[in-house]
Amino acid sequence: MRKKLAVVLSLFMVSAVVMAGCSESSSKTEGTSDTGSGNAGKSGTKVKLTGIMVKHPLTKPLAEMEWLKKAEEEAGVEIKWQEITADWGQKKGTMLASGDVPDLFVGANVITDADFAQFQGLFQDLSDLVNKNAPNVQMMFNAKPETKIIATQPDGKIYGLPKYQRFWPASATRQFINKKWLDNLGLKMPTTWDELYNVLVAFKEKDANGNGDLKDEIPMDWPGGIGGYFNPAVLLGSEGITLSDGSGQGYYVENGKVKNFLIDERFKNLVVFLNKCYAAGLINPEVFTHDYTKYQSIARGTGDTAKVGFTWGWVASDRFGDQVAPQYASMSPLKRSADSNAKLSWSYDYNSLNFGSNMVVMSAKTKNKDAAMKFINNLYDPKVSMQVLFGSLGTNIKDNGDDSYSVLPPTDSKMDPGTWKWTSTMADNGPMYIADSLKLNLGKDMSEVLTQSEPLKGALSVSTKTDVYPNLFIKYSTADNNTLSLNNTNLMNLANPKFAQWVTKGGIDAQWDAYVKECQKAGLQQNIEIMQKYYDSFMSKNK
Amino acid sequence: MIFPAIAVILIFNYGPMYGIQLAFRDYDFAKGLTGGEWRGLYYFKQFMNSYLFADLMKNTVTISLASIVLGFPAPIILALILNQIRRKKAKQILQTTVYLPHFISTIVLVGMLNVLLSPETGIVGYLMKLVGLGDINLLASTSTFMPVYVLSDIWQHCGWNSIIYLAALSTIDPQLYDSAKIDGASRWQTIRYVDIPAIVPTMIILFILSMGNVLGTGFEKIFLMQNALNLPVSEVIATYVYKIGIVSNQFSYSSAIGLFNTVINFIFLIAVNAISKRFSNMSLW
Repeated sequence: MRKKLAVVLSLFMVSAVVMAGCSESSSKTEGTSDTGSGNAGKSGTKVKLTGIMVKHPLTKPLAEMEWLKKAEEEAGVEIKWQEITADWGQKKGTMLASGDVPDLFVGANVITDADFAQFQGLFQDLSDLVNKNAPNVQMMFNAKPETKIIATQPDGKIYGLPKYQRFWPASATRQFINKKWLDNLGLKMPTTWDELYNVLVAFKEKDANGNGDLKDEIPMDWPGGIGGYFNPAVLLGSEGITLSDGSGQGYYVENGKVKNFLIDERFKNLVVFLNKCYAAGLINPEVFTHDYTKYQSIARGTGDTAKVGFTWGWVASDRFGDQVAPQYASMSPLKRSADSNAKLSWSYDYNSLNFGSNMVVMSAKTKNKDAAMKFINNLYDPKVSMQVLFGSLGTNIKDNGDDSYSVLPPTDSKMDPGTWKWTSTMADNGPMYIADSLKLNLGKDMSEVLTQSEPLKGALSVSTKTDVYPNLFIKYSTADNNTLSLNNTNLMNLANPKFAQWVTKGGIDAQWDAYVKECQKAGLQQNIEIMQKYYDSFMSKNK
Repeated sequence: MIFPAIAVILIFNYGPMYGIQLAFRDYDFAKGLTGGEWRGLYYFKQFMNSYLFADLMKNTVTISLASIVLGFPAPIILALILNQIRRKKAKQILQTTVYLPHFISTIVLVGMLNVLLSPETGIVGYLMKLVGLGDINLLASTSTFMPVYVLSDIWQHCGWNSIIYLAALSTIDPQLYDSAKIDGASRWQTIRYVDIPAIVPTMIILFILSMGNVLGTGFEKIFLMQNALNLPVSEVIATYVYKIGIVSNQFSYSSAIGLFNTVINFIFLIAVNAISKRFSNMSLW
């Protein structure tokens, strides 16, 4: 009995070891035979590729996208897609380190410049392939030289291809206030921080939505933290700071000098103001703990009853849902105080909204590189690109017959156009080139963006030469990239909790000096020096 | 007979350890795990000079020690109570009930905490308002993070951890109870003089083992519970390693921090074991 058991046990152990060793190769063969069996008959000549697409959680399965099927067919490839909607940042590191990667990666900055530097030899240099058989990509490079700058690494190689989508406004963030509540209470549109404060107090105390419940109004809300889109950091524009690309980690440029608002006295003023609002109960108490979904759903109210008074977002219909969106008005940037003479500014995000880096990347191990490149080139075809962004011809885009096209409203009437776009296609996460010459009438959401951007126009007439950090066009060396990334992790680890604490509990005055010193210790000064160096050399080359 | 077990340990536990050298080298993808330039203790120094070092150590040690100090006696007390229940059916039902939370996955548990402790909509928030404690967001405060973490941990695992003590208690010779009763011992006295001495060896062994985990606070739960407001007390070595290593791709640096963590654990384990050996003649080896 004991002997038998021993034999069984050791057999089990050995097989476990063998299986562990083989699992990698066996899963690979499984993968290919899987795709082969279904279509073996008609697609015998098709080149089989594997791909990863990092898409929006709402986006429907790629297999259901008509335009994508056509693009694959035309290139004579069949791609087995793995679709990722969450935590790509975490999955990526381990996948790349193992070296077991698919042929294509698609998504917004799906593989970063830092990854290219670190995982050398893993990715395909596309420069020759682009020259040889990617006329559409070349067309983009010629028409928009910026795209070539974005694509080219310091060593002259091209690993990832960028996008250009042309229609997007100069800023991602717009500022909204509930106009109906203002009217209900007979209030004027606020123009300064103090006026805003008074309006918010009235929102809170006077049952602004008129449903009889004095407590359900949330006067102010944002998705939490400091920096990035839809964040109160844009109020720094009242003091003349131009954020760029949301300034997620606080960096901005002023008169050609790289700075960081996290240690700026003007930021301190903003925090004091936000703390005053919080203490008066004007800010959603869950502002630092809720997640984006909750932040969105609260603003959509219940039925016709709005919940949020003042907040930031992309467009009203996306932020508040179609039903209560009409209650909201897009606001001009506020002045700090009536007598302030600081030039009003706002977050300038034109580059990051209209260009994108590394939207598609090829593995160096891809067997049939020409076929893969042909497929990529198809994505940059003017007609296909349009569908990458807005969805398939027929269901999402109408061909007007005269060389012009129109984006169709959602077939599901309950859905807002923004959500519809993200559901239907790769949207902004796809590689594309929307040529300036393409005749495309935009949908309701995009015209909404443009109208709701109107109030920001004055503030956004910033000098891109002296007041915007050209983040997208700058390529750091590996060592600098590592330093920046490590320091920024430490910096945000320090700044985010402090900001949350100061807004909710106050105390910024007493802690400010120590905090600034801590930030410097976390590497802020070093990062500013690095960024200044790159900024100067970029500016001197691109005058 | 023992060979397969040794083989498994060698292959899966000792084999991968050659990767530790990554902590002393630059990571170079092209040259593989062992190909990068040798940097010696560079990354260890970087960590110790990091401005976060003191906070990370403090948070990790506080959370771990609190978990041990509060979490260690809980299953013992529970086991002693369960052991006192004479009705077999009731005991079984009770035991099963206290085991159950152990099987809730971490993400679900943290989800439950978020729902229950939400100051706006949660039942706990509601009750606190009812008794006049006001609007405290328990998950978003530096002073309540640790208690919430430790108490929810105890609630979740106490029942399961009591099993081993119940097993130890069941080995007690019934004659001991009988003679205690004849001597007129009260219930409390039987616990004090019969039950507790019987499980002391188990307690010591488990205590030594848990000391080895002093810096090994669980990653998932803390990471999931983190937010901007509790970050000053909730950033521990494990979560920092994750942020640096996996998210920012600094493999060498995070290996060094991880190794540092392990070495400290090891020192704690050895020290407690030695102390225990010295004073109670009881030890792991």
